Amino acid sequence: MIPLQHFLFISAALFSLGLFAVITRKNAIQILMGIELMINASILNMVAFGKYDKIDNTGQVFGLFIIVLAAAAVAVALVIIMNLYKRVKTINPDKANTLRG
Amino acid sequence: MEQIFTSNQLFNIAILAITAPFLAFIFSLIFKKLAAAFGIISIGISLISSIILFLHLWKKHTLHYSFQWINIGNVKIDVGILLNDLSVIMLLLITLIALLVHIYSVEYIRNDKLKYRYFAYLSLFCFAMVCVVMADNLFILYAFWELVGFSSYLLIGFWFTKEKAVQANKKAMIMNRIGDIGFLIGIMIMVSQFHTLDIDTLFGSGSLIDSSFVKNGLWVSPFATMPEYWLSIAGFCFFSGAIAKSAQFPLHTWLPDAMEGPTAVSSLIHAATMVAAGVFLLLRISPLFNDVVLVSIATIGLFTAFMAATIALTQNDIKKVLAFSTISQLGFMVLAVGVQDNAAAIFHLITHAFFKCLLFLGAGIVIHQLHHIKEKHSLDFDEQNMDNMGGLRKLMPVTGMVFFIAAMALSGLPFTSGYLSKDAILVSVFEWADLRGGIYWLFPLMISITSWLTTFYIFRVVYKVFFGDFRLPKIFNKAKEELHIHDPNLWMTIPVIVLAVFCFGVFFAYNPLNLDSSWVYHGFNLQQHNEGLFHLMVPLYINVMSLALIFLAHLIYAKQKIAINFQATWFYKLSYNQWYFNSFYDVFLMRIVLWKAKYFYWFDRKIIDGTVHLSSDIILKFSKIANWLDRNIIDGLVNGVAFLVGRLGIWLRGMQSGKLQHYFIWMLLLFLTFMIFKIVI
Repeated sequence: MIPLQHFLFISAALFSLGLFAVITRKNAIQILMGIELMINASILNMVAFGKYDKIDNTGQVFGLFIIVLAAAAVAVALVIIMNLYKRVKTINPDKANTLRG
Repeated sequence: MEQIFTSNQLFNIAILAITAPFLAFIFSLIFKKLAAAFGIISIGISLISSIILFLHLWKKHTLHYSFQWINIGNVKIDVGILLNDLSVIMLLLITLIALLVHIYSVEYIRNDKLKYRYFAYLSLFCFAMVCVVMADNLFILYAFWELVGFSSYLLIGFWFTKEKAVQANKKAMIMNRIGDIGFLIGIMIMVSQFHTLDIDTLFGSGSLIDSSFVKNGLWVSPFATMPEYWLSIAGFCFFSGAIAKSAQFPLHTWLPDAMEGPTAVSSLIHAATMVAAGVFLLLRISPLFNDVVLVSIATIGLFTAFMAATIALTQNDIKKVLAFSTISQLGFMVLAVGVQDNAAAIFHLITHAFFKCLLFLGAGIVIHQLHHIKEKHSLDFDEQNMDNMGGLRKLMPVTGMVFFIAAMALSGLPFTSGYLSKDAILVSVFEWADLRGGIYWLFPLMISITSWLTTFYIFRVVYKVFFGDFRLPKIFNKAKEELHIHDPNLWMTIPVIVLAVFCFGVFFAYNPLNLDSSWVYHGFNLQQHNEGLFHLMVPLYINVMSLALIFLAHLIYAKQKIAINFQATWFYKLSYNQWYFNSFYDVFLMRIVLWKAKYFYWFDRKIIDGTVHLSSDIILKFSKIANWLDRNIIDGLVNGVAFLVGRLGIWLRGMQSGKLQHYFIWMLLLFLTFMIFKIVI
């Protein structure tokens, strides 16, 4: 039996990597990948904690929900990125700074 | 004569007599070319109205119309006209003389550019004078009294480019103001004592004055009571108004200076009519005077008559002689009022108006003709100085004749009007002195001397101007034919001839040698003079002496057989310098006034202005401080807040970089901060 801490370490590492990618990448696709990593880190947490609920299996169920939602979100995000590219001819989020104060 | 007009129509005629000159005054200023015509026509209308009024009202009844005007508490001031015997005869006199002077002025002022103004002022004067005569209450009388003074001021200064004329009209104005203050105070006393100013109510028959009495040192009237001395003060106050207007002793110095005006003006205003207004006022209010005031009036009149006559002896300016003669004759009238022979005063006023007006107009002709010579030959001499005249009788026979007649009338020789009126005064003075005795015998003595002086000075003028040789050609070394001088045209000669006719006694008395047959005199004095010694003797001894003096003057000035040299004597100096009154006023009064004015100027400059400037300085300094505070503290606070907010805004703006990842980092930091707080707290 793998102890809970290992799951948590892995998911924390995954989350941090995803966060790092979101903050540092200059490419919208890569940021999207970072987001996916962070979502996956959270799913891993859900599933890991799920072993304490053997009756309802809420963790697993939520994990499935999140996977579906993430897939939908990716589709939406990709469309946004494509529209962005159409408008400003780039997918570098730094260049699309029309909201600058 | 039967009554042709009803009272209402007579009232309208009186209004016409007033309005015609006033309309002429206005139209003369608008239609400048026709000014002379307006003046003559309007005064002609007034004259016709006056004749109608005179024929209807003289010795018959009194016309009194008034309308309520001002109502203050229980004091009522009406506006209206009062025409009694005194008014109608004055009205007739004024309009007749004014008409003649208007006609004369057409020629006299012909070449003056501003003659429309002259006629406008003359019309204004006639309007005011007619109103003074007709006014039915003291308030209206006072108002037009001032207007008369003002039109006199305008006419004295008619040649306003002459410095002396401007000085003279200012002097006349100020002198009259001094007297008018007294008049005004008198009016106020009347108001507080009788609560009315209506002349008829106050002084007419059965009047308030009669019903008031003095008891236990109190002056009691139906309305109020005041100490007795106020009765005397009221009398003196009214008299002071008359003193100024009629040029009596302390305030007489304006009249000789007023001779700077055109001669026709001098003749109408400063000899015949306006100066007589003072005597007219005294006559109107004569019931007011008590014994103290009457004796003072007599004394002032006597002194003025004597003083002015002595001054007239030595003056060389022909108009100055006539001016002092006027002052002297006004003194006679005032004396007559003082001895309570009002009939003699009004009689002398009327006769004097004719012959003095004539003397001035005659002098005006001489001056006018000499002025022509002066301009034609561009010579430089004083055309009013008698030393430049002489022998004009042959060159200007008409002028010489009328002047001679007027001089005879002024001297009071038999068959002239002056004989009647002057003797009326003299006889009254003698009788008055006889009644009182003692020191009062000084009055008849002095007035007799004055009467002889009058004869001498006026015949000095006659002989200097019209007899002997014409001195002007000799002075400039020219032939007599070259400096040609002649009688003027009809515009000037007709008025003087008409006036000369009125200098004869027959117009005023059926028997020109007997005062008792004078209709004017008996119009005002109902009781007969008692046929006493004075009545016979006074005219006799006065005239015998006068004839001797005329002969003396003839020898001295016409034949120049007797050369008198008294120019170094103190008497000559006193007379020539007009008793030093002008110098006295200059030194004592003028200097005090000027010093006071300077002091007040200094006070105004330094103290009043200083205070104002100091306070303004303080306020300025204070406002500067306030300004600094406002700018630095108040504005500083506001600006500081704005600056702070601006800075904050700039700093906060930095967060809105528009970069997706920055927002994300901020979000993360916020979340972390929130979580840390959550954990710590």
